[in-house]
Amino acid sequence: MKDYFMSDVLVEQGGFLQGKEMKSRKIRINNPDNDRPINIFIGTAVILSIISIFMLNIDWIMLFSRVGELAGVFIELSQFNFTNFDLVAVAFMESVTVTLLATLYSLVGGLLMGAFMARNITPSKKLAGVLSSYNSFIRAVPTPIWVLLIIACLGFGPAPGIIGLSFHATAFFARAFSQAFEEVPQATIEALQATGANRIQIFFSAVLPASMTALIAWSAMRFEINFSESTILGMVGGGGIGYSIAASVTGYNFGRAGISILMVFVFAYCLEIMFTAIKRRMKA
Amino acid sequence: MSKPLIVEHLTKSYGPGSLAVDDVSFEVKQGEFVAIIGPSGAGKSTILRCINRMVEPSDGRILFEGNDISHVQGKKLRDARRRIGMIFQHYNLVYRLTVMQNVMHGRLGYMSTMDGILNRYKEEDKEKALKLLNKVGLLEYMYKRASELSGGQKQRVGIVRALMQEPSLLLCDEPIASLDPNSSKVIMDLIYELTKEWNISCIVNLHQVHVAKEYATRIIGIRQGKLVFDGPPSELTNVMIEEIYNTSMENLMINGEVRAVG
Amino acid sequence: MADKQKHLPLVDGGEKKMVTIAFFVMLALFTAATAYTQFNPFTILKEQSTFWNFITQDFLPPDIAKAKGLWSAMLQTLGMALAATFIASCLAFVFAFLGSGTTAPYPWLSKIIRAVGSFTRNIPALVWSFILVMAFGIGTSVGLIALTVETFGFLLRAFIETIDEVGSESLEALNACGADYFQKLAQCVIPAAIPGYISWFLYCIEVNIRSSTIVGMVGGGGVGLVLMIYIKSFKYHVAGAIILAIAAVVILVDLTTNWLRKRVLV
Repeated sequence: MKDYFMSDVLVEQGGFLQGKEMKSRKIRINNPDNDRPINIFIGTAVILSIISIFMLNIDWIMLFSRVGELAGVFIELSQFNFTNFDLVAVAFMESVTVTLLATLYSLVGGLLMGAFMARNITPSKKLAGVLSSYNSFIRAVPTPIWVLLIIACLGFGPAPGIIGLSFHATAFFARAFSQAFEEVPQATIEALQATGANRIQIFFSAVLPASMTALIAWSAMRFEINFSESTILGMVGGGGIGYSIAASVTGYNFGRAGISILMVFVFAYCLEIMFTAIKRRMKA
Repeated sequence: MSKPLIVEHLTKSYGPGSLAVDDVSFEVKQGEFVAIIGPSGAGKSTILRCINRMVEPSDGRILFEGNDISHVQGKKLRDARRRIGMIFQHYNLVYRLTVMQNVMHGRLGYMSTMDGILNRYKEEDKEKALKLLNKVGLLEYMYKRASELSGGQKQRVGIVRALMQEPSLLLCDEPIASLDPNSSKVIMDLIYELTKEWNISCIVNLHQVHVAKEYATRIIGIRQGKLVFDGPPSELTNVMIEEIYNTSMENLMINGEVRAVG
Repeated sequence: MADKQKHLPLVDGGEKKMVTIAFFVMLALFTAATAYTQFNPFTILKEQSTFWNFITQDFLPPDIAKAKGLWSAMLQTLGMALAATFIASCLAFVFAFLGSGTTAPYPWLSKIIRAVGSFTRNIPALVWSFILVMAFGIGTSVGLIALTVETFGFLLRAFIETIDEVGSESLEALNACGADYFQKLAQCVIPAAIPGYISWFLYCIEVNIRSSTIVGMVGGGGVGLVLMIYIKSFKYHVAGAIILAIAAVVILVDLTTNWLRKRVLV
């Protein structure tokens, strides 16, 4: 606490204890030292955001004048067109399987890399540092860019999607998991070291069970992200339901675009409900 | 007003067949210090929360300062609540705010919406808060975040917040259940002295029988939602205690004190 | 007998059973998905040399000099991410009060708001941009709105959860003091929830920097569009430079948000 406050308090205290007039000064109730960082942050964020909005040069009048057309778009999208639905279904299945495989592969990769990256259990601090900066780089480049690069050299099909998504998701899991491992109390690890357990035993019998809740939460979160990413892939040149949406929209087949979007929504919504339920059960 | 609170046939049910409070009636005179005892889950907390309508009673009447408040809503309910202070087991402070900001919350019921939002508290109210903080020994903590205080200190903030409301009735829901014995004594002494000094009626939920006997001018015993005892501490015999807690005296004795483990 | 004693179960039976079931479900899904996609993980190893050749010969060295308009495009991408996150968080700030169980004045309204939120967040931003292009035509505004819409849904849920976590106990106390609805928001909910809000805001900035790059690739403008142009015209050295620039900016933003978390959220 700064002297400033202390002296303030004493002045007020002296004031009312001796019954002297002290109406000239207002008594402060907040502590500016507590509020300052947040106030500065919010102020700066608001100013930068408003500058950004102006910088983007958006024609707001045009935008608002066309809001009515948005309703028209939704009406067109909702007139579902089920001809050649099998093509949509195949594309959807491709997105789902790509999501699934990418999540499972990156789960394994992420666990392995996370174990080597976590500072409390890594066999080599140097290796941990190298892995950590490698993963920050991989994570910094958005997934669809990785997929585009892999498509450019491997050609089309589900494989570039799976590889590209796994690439990014592995880096994501590696960081998340290594943090979860690092949160395991040192005492737990030391207790097992004292019994003469080796690294692998310590990992499987102490670190992994202790961080299980966090691992499940991260995996669930990434599964949702992966599905959304795999949808996007089709729109930037990959396959799957995203391609079906993009192709239907550009081909003015709004009924099919509508059904494709609905499938994306329903699947993502079911995932959300499922994972929320799982998280709630784990907390209880 | 000699009887600021009259509770008539208070009943609360959560769904059919489960009565949390079953036809409880009692009166509290001005300046009385009433302790409600009973095993945990007996409905003590529900009774207390029905009085200021934090819980909606299913049946019965609550007369506060002569007005029936069992069905009032909106402004009238808030007007009644601002005259009823409440102290909680878990203190229920806004931990990111300073002690002073928390204490001043007690005045919100007396202010316009806008003044309350913009922290425009009256200077004389602030002075009063300083006096009360001084009294409970927290003056030097006034600009500390509530989260930085110990449990006993947090509860003292809770007491000052309740007293800032200028209540005629104080409801204390297990005020010392989360505190160590030393802090518990400080808190009970403070509640006792301040309510006496200001002639505030006080209802305290307790699960330590010996604390109830030490402070209360009257004790109410609750068992499975029913009122089974209402009288001065001197009439609370061991037989009566055994009936309230439905167990033998030996089970309630720890270190020579009667301490119902809730 | 003595041997069997050594295998005392360390975790309780129910949990062990769950783990076993989860493992077999994953295995089954893995097998089915692999069979469906015909994906052979060893293609990575087989095609590895092609990939690295492609990276080392086509992309490296990065040619940053030829990337015209890179930095102004980058600024636009950053601006879009910030603006979208800001607008979305302003909207979510208001609607979270109406949606959270602890502060909702009307339960029916809360249900509607939650439904809208789950609709907007479960459709990816890029899909939103396709829908919006149909109404507004191509332009920066579409990218901005698409990002805003998805972020709004996400932040709405995050803010509601924040209120639910910080709310009920201190709200009960303010209720008992006779505070009215807006006083309770200003004096209790907002001060308690602000750190949570800021933390989610920063998270969305991180996510939206990446998303706005992608939205840009399909016509939203910014650095994504510039990158797409160079990839489509096979100028991979320039594209490589742009990708490195994107990575650098994203890492910089992540470092900044991490620093802010430590400085602001005390």
